[in-house]
Amino acid sequence: MTGKTSSARKNGTEAAAEPIPLRYGDDPYVWACWLYYEDHMTQGDIAEIMGISRATVNSYLADARARGIVNISLEPSRLSSLSIAQELKRHFGLHDCLVVPSDDNTRPLIDRLGGAAAQALAKLLKSGDTLAVAWGRTVLAIGEQASVPGLQDVTVVQATGGTAANFAYTPELCASAIAGAVKARLINITAPAVVSTAEVRDMLLREPLIQSQFDALAKANKALFGISSLRPNSTIHTSGFFESVSLQQYLSKNAVGVVAGRFIDGQGNPVAGPLDDRTIGISLDMLKAIGLRIAVAGGFDKVPAILASLRGGYVNVLITDAATGRGILNADGVTELDQKLSQRPRVDNTIALPSNYRTHIKKFLNDPDDVVEEMLDGVVKAHAAYTKPIKGSNRALVARTGPRPGKVGLVIGGGSGHEPCFLSYVGKGLADAVAVGNIFSSPPPGPILLCTQAASGGAGVLFVYGNYAGDVMNFDMAAEMAADKGIEVRTVVTTDDIASSPLEDRDGRRGVAGNFFMFKIAGAACDRGLSLDACEAVTRKANARTFTMGVALEPCSMPQTRRHNFEIGPDDIEIGMGIHGEPGVIREKMMTADAITDRVMDRIFAEMKPVAGDRVAVLINSFGATPLMELYILFRRVEQRLSAKGVQIEANWVGHYCTSLDMVGASITILHLDNELSELLRHPCDTAVLRIG
Amino acid sequence: MQQFDNASAGDIVLSLADRIIENRAYLSEIDGKIGDGDHGVNMAKGFGMAADRIRGNDMSLASAFDTLGTVLMTEIGGSMGPLYGIMFTQFAETIEASPSIGADTFGAMLGSGLEGIQTIGSAKVGDKTLLDALVPAIEAFNGANAAGKPFADALDAMAAAAEQGRDSTRDLVARIGRASRLGERSVGVLDAGATSCALILATLASGAKQKLLKSATAGH
Repeated sequence: MTGKTSSARKNGTEAAAEPIPLRYGDDPYVWACWLYYEDHMTQGDIAEIMGISRATVNSYLADARARGIVNISLEPSRLSSLSIAQELKRHFGLHDCLVVPSDDNTRPLIDRLGGAAAQALAKLLKSGDTLAVAWGRTVLAIGEQASVPGLQDVTVVQATGGTAANFAYTPELCASAIAGAVKARLINITAPAVVSTAEVRDMLLREPLIQSQFDALAKANKALFGISSLRPNSTIHTSGFFESVSLQQYLSKNAVGVVAGRFIDGQGNPVAGPLDDRTIGISLDMLKAIGLRIAVAGGFDKVPAILASLRGGYVNVLITDAATGRGILNADGVTELDQKLSQRPRVDNTIALPSNYRTHIKKFLNDPDDVVEEMLDGVVKAHAAYTKPIKGSNRALVARTGPRPGKVGLVIGGGSGHEPCFLSYVGKGLADAVAVGNIFSSPPPGPILLCTQAASGGAGVLFVYGNYAGDVMNFDMAAEMAADKGIEVRTVVTTDDIASSPLEDRDGRRGVAGNFFMFKIAGAACDRGLSLDACEAVTRKANARTFTMGVALEPCSMPQTRRHNFEIGPDDIEIGMGIHGEPGVIREKMMTADAITDRVMDRIFAEMKPVAGDRVAVLINSFGATPLMELYILFRRVEQRLSAKGVQIEANWVGHYCTSLDMVGASITILHLDNELSELLRHPCDTAVLRIG
Repeated sequence: MQQFDNASAGDIVLSLADRIIENRAYLSEIDGKIGDGDHGVNMAKGFGMAADRIRGNDMSLASAFDTLGTVLMTEIGGSMGPLYGIMFTQFAETIEASPSIGADTFGAMLGSGLEGIQTIGSAKVGDKTLLDALVPAIEAFNGANAAGKPFADALDAMAAAAEQGRDSTRDLVARIGRASRLGERSVGVLDAGATSCALILATLASGAKQKLLKSATAGH
């Protein structure tokens, strides 16, 4: 036992494990727990002492929780504020929510909210942001406590005009405090927040200087503001910011709160009043157009005002305190929260998981809800040489060169998550336009119709896409809409996945990586100026002669949940896996690369029935996470099997051509060539991922 | 006879949206077991977008259904977009001309929604789809109505049958859509479409019952 010095060895006995000391009552679970939780030993040391494996220690510890020997509990006030935050986020569909515990009375609420918001700001604010900052006691408290170093090119814009009112948290001061804290460029609105008449306001707004300040405000992508109630003693009254006469008129119209200087009713609707035309500052519509809208507000008197601003959609990040949060939820009819808090299950009876087990997959994400939009922003820029958005929509992209009068237009499309499918197969000699859906979900008819119109050169348009119920419905609807506009549309639905249903039901099969070949053939036929009939016919032929089968080793994970959307056992693989993460058709034990390839090739040969002298094109496609190294190992075996049959590989592609997010796995596609297909396959094309000639 | 005003009932659709959004994670979770796990996300997105357009506009039930149906049909994609889209636009068309909605109108509305779905989809009862909740629910509603039961009781029968139908999908083999490729392995899991459909019908029932109660207390 050299080399392993163990601090856990207390009584110096070597080699053999200790017998269970009497005090643990012959219960190894209790012993393991004592060593772990009370003696703070590592699981490795415990394993050595107890003479068992580390994995057994781990399962003892997990079982001990399930059996109630160990209870792990969160401190109640923290648990409560976490639950309230979670419920607020869920109930109001917030981007995020932070709730500070209410039972800490050592500091005033404003300070505690300011501190929490200061920390949140450090997480939420990024380089390059433009932050609109409204005024209020809470906002100033944030500015006083925040310090966000290391950001670049941040701009802070004062969200309302200024004021001469005699209080410490004027709009100018608030904006300046935040700008100082985040080292931002500060843009003030150099006009009063409330002026004497509508004419004066209009005149001021026409001033170039003030106009430029409003232009800066309109560029804000984040906003920070408090929420004021209209109860007596609220900031609104005591600040003198608004004249009290006017306030009465808003109150009589059921205004309950003020957001960034604008009055709203209980449902969050704007309340019209005498100050509206005399106010210089951000409007509620401008506020709602800002991506991240951080409201910081607490105190029981503010419950109706905060609820109203949540209902009105002015807020998507809320920072408040537990009592206020609970009040907001109760006021909106959420009563289950208290039950949930009291009825939490006492023991965690989930299966024992190793301590390094993860439920979430790491991904390069900003906001998971924006994953498709942000990808498209990148694609549109990266592929600018090949494609451009149609009518400003990134969901419908048209080739810069390709569509032309007299040529059949080729429109492809489908859900996201399969990149480079489908959007990188657009360009001269290939598809003319692509419609892009959400992750694993067909695009709606709108973008498909845009593509159809953009691709139409008067000779008709061919739709080619994979056979999925949703795609069929949406493309069919778009085809009808195109017909109404006088564009003739033909459709070839691809069905190359031979694992997805038996040969008798060939039409019911799904379209997978073989799309690559069908798009190529269809694109070449269209580019050569063939008629719509001929383009359709040759694409159907390509589909009938393309055979694909996929194998998944590990599931993919969804950007929205960052979790696997199904599980494959540690020793299992799934044969027949499609490209949407839908489980495969047969689950087998892991086997060698050659054995897997043989399983796939045997199925393909059974349908393709090749004879010596036949020519094929081969596509070895990664499902996302399988590296090229392994794809070449598969290709090696595919080539061996084909050449053993005297079949010649005329062209091949190995790489990422039709993926399924980050799934580990690959598919093998064989296109059984004839002279016509071979010629069309060699026809030049120029797209972001495929260039021939 | 029990009936409620069409003109002031648009907020029923807002509560539909609330329920769908609340169940976003749950619907995606069950969809993830045999589908691709995006049902909740897509439904919540569509219903949320529609709710944004309805909220504050004091819509009739017919216009609210039309708004919802149009958003689902044209802006969501997937298969649920067109299917639910056509159901709600059919609902809207059927009740458009009725100032007040009684059990007969409501029954006709359900029927035309189902017809709409059947024109674009090919599923039948027993295929493990939303029809397994929708069809028995409509039958239960019409049965109760034909038996002379009050509107509110027929709504209860509809919601109960929808939930029963949803639960029946657990034992079914998927025959349509992506899950159908799984064959027997789809058994034991609820169908996500049937689950959302039962949720929609139950919320519709409770929303309509509240309106009936209001009409009754308002004295007509």
